[in-house]
Amino acid sequence: MPVEPPTSFVAAPVGGEVVVEAREMSFGYDPTMPVLSDWSATFRAAEVVAVTGPSGRGKSTLLYLLGLMLRPTSGQILVEGVDVSKASDRARSLLRAHRFGFVFQDAALDATRTVLDNVTETSLYRGASKTADRRRAVELMDQFGVNLRAAAKPGQVSGGQAQRIALCRALLNNPRILLADEPTGNLDAVSSDLVITALHTQAATGTTVIVVTHDPALVARCDRRIDL
Amino acid sequence: MTTLRRWSAVVREAVATGWAQPVASIVTIVVIAGMCTAVLLTSGRTVGAEQAILGSIDAEGTRSIIIRAEPTAGLDPTVLDRIKQIQGIQWAGAFGPALDVTNAAFPGATRVPVRLAWGDDFQRLGLPNTSSVPGSSVWASSNALDSLGMPDQVGGATTGDGRNFAVVGTLTTPDYLTFLEPLAIAPQTDRVGQVSVLVVVAARPDLVAPVSDAVLSVLAVDDPTLITFSTSENLAELRALVQGQLGSFGRNLVILIFSLTAVLVAAILYGLVMLRRRDFGRRRALGASRSLIIGLLLTQTGILALTGAAIGSATATIALITTGDPLPGPYYFAAVSILAAAVGVTAAVLPAIAAAQRDPLKELRVP
Repeated sequence: MPVEPPTSFVAAPVGGEVVVEAREMSFGYDPTMPVLSDWSATFRAAEVVAVTGPSGRGKSTLLYLLGLMLRPTSGQILVEGVDVSKASDRARSLLRAHRFGFVFQDAALDATRTVLDNVTETSLYRGASKTADRRRAVELMDQFGVNLRAAAKPGQVSGGQAQRIALCRALLNNPRILLADEPTGNLDAVSSDLVITALHTQAATGTTVIVVTHDPALVARCDRRIDL
Repeated sequence: MTTLRRWSAVVREAVATGWAQPVASIVTIVVIAGMCTAVLLTSGRTVGAEQAILGSIDAEGTRSIIIRAEPTAGLDPTVLDRIKQIQGIQWAGAFGPALDVTNAAFPGATRVPVRLAWGDDFQRLGLPNTSSVPGSSVWASSNALDSLGMPDQVGGATTGDGRNFAVVGTLTTPDYLTFLEPLAIAPQTDRVGQVSVLVVVAARPDLVAPVSDAVLSVLAVDDPTLITFSTSENLAELRALVQGQLGSFGRNLVILIFSLTAVLVAAILYGLVMLRRRDFGRRRALGASRSLIIGLLLTQTGILALTGAAIGSATATIALITTGDPLPGPYYFAAVSILAAAVGVTAAVLPAIAAAQRDPLKELRVP
């Protein structure tokens, strides 16, 4: 069923309803070697789920499937009860921009733009007001202790700060689903703790947080763990 | 968000992205500016030269048809009424045989030929409306006035057999009547008399041949063998040849330069896309649709190309003015600038599509 692009963000009710669901989902880069076979799972609002497993089992692939960047070869992905596995690129892009937040392993900031530009990058993709988003970006950066001078570039910040900036970017649209790929992979203990706390704080607002991680400290603080 | 606001957001982002990557932006601007300058200094110069040559050919009366009639040929001024019915004629005038006159105040002075003249538009020669002036009033060119010894442009003139004319003013001899110099004419209001020279000017050089045929067919003379005519048809052919060859040379040169630049710009942009593939992968992951990424890159390239075209045009203009070469005209400059920007944007299409196809998983995964 095609998905109508969302036109505005609706705050999520906290109540543990299913937000993302995979139904008998399969995927493989090579059809003869599936990475995932008939894989099913549900992810509820306000929970933090850790996806763990040895390297090469498809953890990141799963994250990118749930994040609508890949299409399952069979099965379904439902977001807020709607099957989006066959939705158009435009609809999936709009869903990503409006409903999802992403944190990548190495922050993936644009080194040529300022920190504030990085945090507000998704405004364009959502068609949101840049002015309003800048205000929210400054609030988030204050909240995560990375309110640097306006002209600061990502190359001038530490790894921990970069990951927190990436977190600010992911939270700018107040996402229903936050996907994080090894968000603490390159961080020291203090920075990791800040990031983990931030993920829980966001989950408390009703966001579904799905984290791919090898970090035992992070796994220990998640509500649930899925082993691949 | 309205379409206008969305486009304005895309343009702002394109400008910000271009600003944030100064080296790539400068390279693109320099390539487009170089292309514009090269085109304007080569084909633009050719176009300028072509326009100058054509202008000078036109100034020599490329479009005139001259018909001479012997006194017994029977050509009379009513031919002008028939010629008036022919399309594609800019001007027509008939002139009688030369009547040699001298300044009435100085018998024995230099003789000047006065011709009775018929036509509907002598204002073109600088004469006032002659419909109510006597047929003995003469307007003369400065050469004729010099010969007559009339520095005040007025005076009496008389023929050897005692026919008197009043010189009342001066006229400007157009290119197509210079063969009649020293020119002195007495405009006639009726259509009575004998015509020895008929001059017809076609509206365009390419109309000279058909207009000649048409005029010859309405002469209605008693003896066609007593008629001779000459046209500047050869000059018109030369004009067409100059226009065709120089135009073709210029066009081929422009196509060659634009094609080479398009390949160069495409290669540069493709290289930049490959360097920035992680950037495009991230944009895709964060919610940028393929069409948005394509639009963003094309807008960015368009802005850079327009900047480059403006700089290139300005540089070429300064160079052409400095060297004293003919300028090809504002429309040519505008056309080259727009074409240069279009070439830049077109060259960016494939790199933009490649950018939009970046796979976030491949680009963002850390091994």
